Amino acid sequence: MYDALVVALAVFIGVAGHELLGMAMLSRPIVVAPLAGLLLGDIQTGLIVGASLEAIFMGVVNIGISSTAEPSLAAGLATAFAIKMGGNVDVVIPIVFPLAVLGLQLMNMIFSFVCGPMAAKFFSFAKEDNQKGIINLHFFMWFIHYALYALIPFFAVLFGADVVKSVLDNIPKVIMNGLTVAGNLLPAVGMAMLLQMLWSKKIAVWFFSGAVIMAYFNLPLIAIAVIGAIIAIVMAQRDLQLKKMQTAPQANTITAGTRTIDDEEEDFFK
Amino acid sequence: MKLGQQISKEEKKLVRKMFWRSMTMYASVNPVTMGGGGFAYSMMPFINHFYKDKNDRAAALERHSQYFSTTIPFASFIMGTAASMEKENSKKPGFDVESINAIKTSLMGPLAGIGDSLFWGVWRVVCAGLAINLAHAGNILAPIIFLIMFNVPNYLVRYYGGILGYSLGSKYIQKLYANGLIEILTKAASVLGLIMVGAMTISMVKFDTILSFSMDGKEILNVQKILDSIFKGIVPLLISLGCFKLLQKKVGVIKIIFGMVILGIVLSLLRIA
Repeated sequence: MYDALVVALAVFIGVAGHELLGMAMLSRPIVVAPLAGLLLGDIQTGLIVGASLEAIFMGVVNIGISSTAEPSLAAGLATAFAIKMGGNVDVVIPIVFPLAVLGLQLMNMIFSFVCGPMAAKFFSFAKEDNQKGIINLHFFMWFIHYALYALIPFFAVLFGADVVKSVLDNIPKVIMNGLTVAGNLLPAVGMAMLLQMLWSKKIAVWFFSGAVIMAYFNLPLIAIAVIGAIIAIVMAQRDLQLKKMQTAPQANTITAGTRTIDDEEEDFFK
Repeated sequence: MKLGQQISKEEKKLVRKMFWRSMTMYASVNPVTMGGGGFAYSMMPFINHFYKDKNDRAAALERHSQYFSTTIPFASFIMGTAASMEKENSKKPGFDVESINAIKTSLMGPLAGIGDSLFWGVWRVVCAGLAINLAHAGNILAPIIFLIMFNVPNYLVRYYGGILGYSLGSKYIQKLYANGLIEILTKAASVLGLIMVGAMTISMVKFDTILSFSMDGKEILNVQKILDSIFKGIVPLLISLGCFKLLQKKVGVIKIIFGMVILGIVLSLLRIA
């Protein structure tokens, strides 16, 4: 029981602390594994497990729904099992990895099924200027998201990895898959809300240009941003000219005025 | 260069408050607005300072609970810029509030691109590499050194980013406003924003159908391929535009979200996705 509790705690501190402290990387195996080791009374094994797993997960960045396995769960469990089984990391990792893959799926499930619907509450609180509500919801969502998640390592250590895996496997595939599909579609709502703010008939076509560039050229976002910025700057310069021409007729008075506008423009777009 | 010379002591205090709050930006991360709730939470000190009227505050909070996602070290820069625009808005009655979110949206994409590769692609790997060596040698300090090494730049960038965003914003927004150039800037930012949202729609909203028809074990019709040949990413585009239409018809966000979850399960049950 104690083992299960502290491993769950280590994973919770990892994933939840990471988000609370500004993506402070607390959820990395190199942190979670030694922490779990420390709480279980064998920090050396924790360090070794942390080092091996960190190397494995080096390339994995957890952004939303875009990786294969969840590093901190893998780290917590691997440490616990390695200490129980006598410190052999290589044996433990194959046991832990499938669980970490399932863990990520479950994390995504919580992400889209629990956190997704709650997000709408933010708007109703905002509309009423209910700041307490926003703050409470903000931290409640944080807690529930990762506390639910920490149940996996808790039960995995308590009952053994096999039991937990078979339980998770028994959640109907269709439901799991359906929630993943839904999680992949949900950002559409966020995009729709952005569109609601930005959309105006005259410039709406640009939305599709962004889509085409991403869909067919698959450029990184930063490249598209640069292209977008160039378009925006060219457009702003043309608008500036139009504005100047509108004020042009009084030929004598504009020289001073245009100079400051030019300065501003250079200042801003340099 | 001395940052933040032109901003008052009181404002600096507000920036500092925002800095602390901005750490938790992704605490309420969710697939709909990502860091939106945290953004609103971080903006509260400014909102309460600039607006005395309850309705103004509510409007500002609503603006800032919208979808927001960027690399977190750079988030405070955008918050600072947004805060300086809120300040302007609180002083000038005719301020174009749309411009605030236009600027936010146009900034978050590029900064996320730079930040992700800089902090996660490069710096984290450097720190982890060092820590792995230490840990292999059995050095207990490995995790601590890793955390300190990674987080000092992480926090510094966030702190000075906030001040920079706020003072740059204050400096330019005011001038732009005085010259009547803010309209032009808003339009340009909206264009950039729309391009980014278009790109993000394709990259963030994902849908692949597994529907296919086969005869004698041979696939004769792959629906995804057909969809792709019409227009790549046509489903994410249509779904996003569909949500947009629903929002315009005043359908509640929560209804749309639940509808989406049900849609996902139904699609899965029908073996379409």
